[in-house]
Amino acid sequence: MKRSRRSALAGLAAVGGAGVAGCLGGVVRDSFGGEVSDGDGAGDGAGGNGDGSGGDSERDSDGERVDGSDAGGRPPTVEADYHLAYEADELRSEALSGGVGKDGIPSIDEPSFRPIGEVNYAEGIPVFGVARDGEAKAYPRHVLSRHEIVNDEIGGESVAVTYCPLTGTAQGFRRGDTTFGVSGRLVNSNLIMYDRATDSWWPQMLATGIDGPMAGGTLDEFRVVWTTANAWAERHPESLVMTDETGYVRRYESDPYGSYAPLGGYYAKEATLFPPLSSPDEGHPKSVVIGARTEAGAVAFDKATLLADRVLTGSVADGDGGEERVVAVADPGLFTGYVYRNPDGLTVEPDGDAYRVDSEGGGFAAADLPLEPVLALDAMWFAWAGFYPDTAFVGEHTGAGDGR
Amino acid sequence: MAAETAGPTDSPAARAVGLLRRTGFAVRAALGRRDGRVTAGVVAVAYALAYGVGVGHLGLRGPARGSATGPGPVVEVAVASDPLALLTRRVGPFQYEPVALVTVGPVEYLFAPVNAAIGLGLAALVGATLAVSVVARRGPAACRLGAGAGAAAGVPGILSGFACCGPTLLLAIGVQASAGLLAVLGWFLPLSAAGLVATLLWVGSRVDPDAVG
Repeated sequence: MKRSRRSALAGLAAVGGAGVAGCLGGVVRDSFGGEVSDGDGAGDGAGGNGDGSGGDSERDSDGERVDGSDAGGRPPTVEADYHLAYEADELRSEALSGGVGKDGIPSIDEPSFRPIGEVNYAEGIPVFGVARDGEAKAYPRHVLSRHEIVNDEIGGESVAVTYCPLTGTAQGFRRGDTTFGVSGRLVNSNLIMYDRATDSWWPQMLATGIDGPMAGGTLDEFRVVWTTANAWAERHPESLVMTDETGYVRRYESDPYGSYAPLGGYYAKEATLFPPLSSPDEGHPKSVVIGARTEAGAVAFDKATLLADRVLTGSVADGDGGEERVVAVADPGLFTGYVYRNPDGLTVEPDGDAYRVDSEGGGFAAADLPLEPVLALDAMWFAWAGFYPDTAFVGEHTGAGDGR
Repeated sequence: MAAETAGPTDSPAARAVGLLRRTGFAVRAALGRRDGRVTAGVVAVAYALAYGVGVGHLGLRGPARGSATGPGPVVEVAVASDPLALLTRRVGPFQYEPVALVTVGPVEYLFAPVNAAIGLGLAALVGATLAVSVVARRGPAACRLGAGAGAAAGVPGILSGFACCGPTLLLAIGVQASAGLLAVLGWFLPLSAAGLVATLLWVGSRVDPDAVG
């Protein structure tokens, strides 16, 4: 009896000792740290709406991609940079710990899936949809919020689907032979990823390296659709959905920040958890915008306005002191939007659930207009305006969320 | 049973040993009484539960988001794919990887062995301190223990319970995080443990050995 009690105490002490040793012995780099177009959509890489060419390393239609070789296991990059409002050293200096260590939020490296038709989802449950090369997958937000990155393969191509809960951004990246992890640090509340080949830092929203051997590089990004499980299942009944069998155990049904269905907590409050790089003069910080960046500028379309009006037109800086016209259209079925360059100012009008473009007739799906696509993503307004204080804004400022 | 006390001319080491012995005696004496044991047990259990909630390992299930098989069983245990490898994996300051999720009805508990050990250790310290405090105050003879001893022991314990979930704690109280604040939050747990030990020693040193027992 006495012996067994001693054994138990010794075991407890050993575990506790291991804990203390772990705490004191390691360096904590502290974090928190899509849509595919539907598979038949246009574009890829830095300019597409999602559904890409998959796997091949050479260029898209604009010849933008130049480094897809995945040399040395590095993540593939594209030559065309995104507009940045801050220098890399300033972004590095603004990076801070999110409260956990490097990989303290573990990426999912061996995801498991089941047919989406086998799951009865509650109404309004957000998922991030990706459709590339004929394969569609959905990643439930409540699972990814505990991991932020899933290293997966879609259509035979190695990709990372990423999500930052604090900025409300879901983005996909080609990853080559390496994988991405959560660095444990944030900038402008946004997840800073690191690649396991070079340990370079990549703020998710910027898709641009700010530290390490690949600083200055631009990741090859693709569209991820922020939608609902039921909407995605209706559009892609053959889709797979990621399960919560991640290799880790988490309280997946409990979100430490709040909820999306119904909207509440952090996702609805005006307050942010970390100081933004800059704050917009107007608008609810947690209202959702469909943001797009080009080489020279950034533009944000209020998502609630876009879903209500179906078409919004605006402009973005062209880098030469002028502006170029852009147009955003809503996909009512998936509750999302797409952005296109519209240099000739063609008229875009709803045509049922599709669109009619100038003289080219109707029937164009929102993801497939005969215009040059600009990669777009959902983001909380404060996060977008924080990274791009010079952003153009189109629509009306609305409340938290996307109005649904 | 008499406690050994250090004289005023003893060396610091001897005084420390004397303090430990005196505290040990006070704890044993407090736990030797029924009211002391009840106090220690209730407080330790309450603290352990609060710590579990504080680190996010214990709580109610959220709304069901979707199921392939319908409602799950009342009691369910899910184990990580490689629990031994994850056992000592550190995810943040003084926070470790859970290896099992136990669901009982609406309640979920993530079992992280190292955090469970830390929580139990802190709970034992809080329980012992309050037991000594309560017993001393309810003892037959007046003692020198101040009324604030119990509160002094409890404060760092409460703080330590939230030490590992700093950012969400800040969200709840509406304070924006900064690098300095996060660094301080990262040390809440060891500071709390040190505070609890100091409080227990202080309580032990203030107890009149002849008045307790």
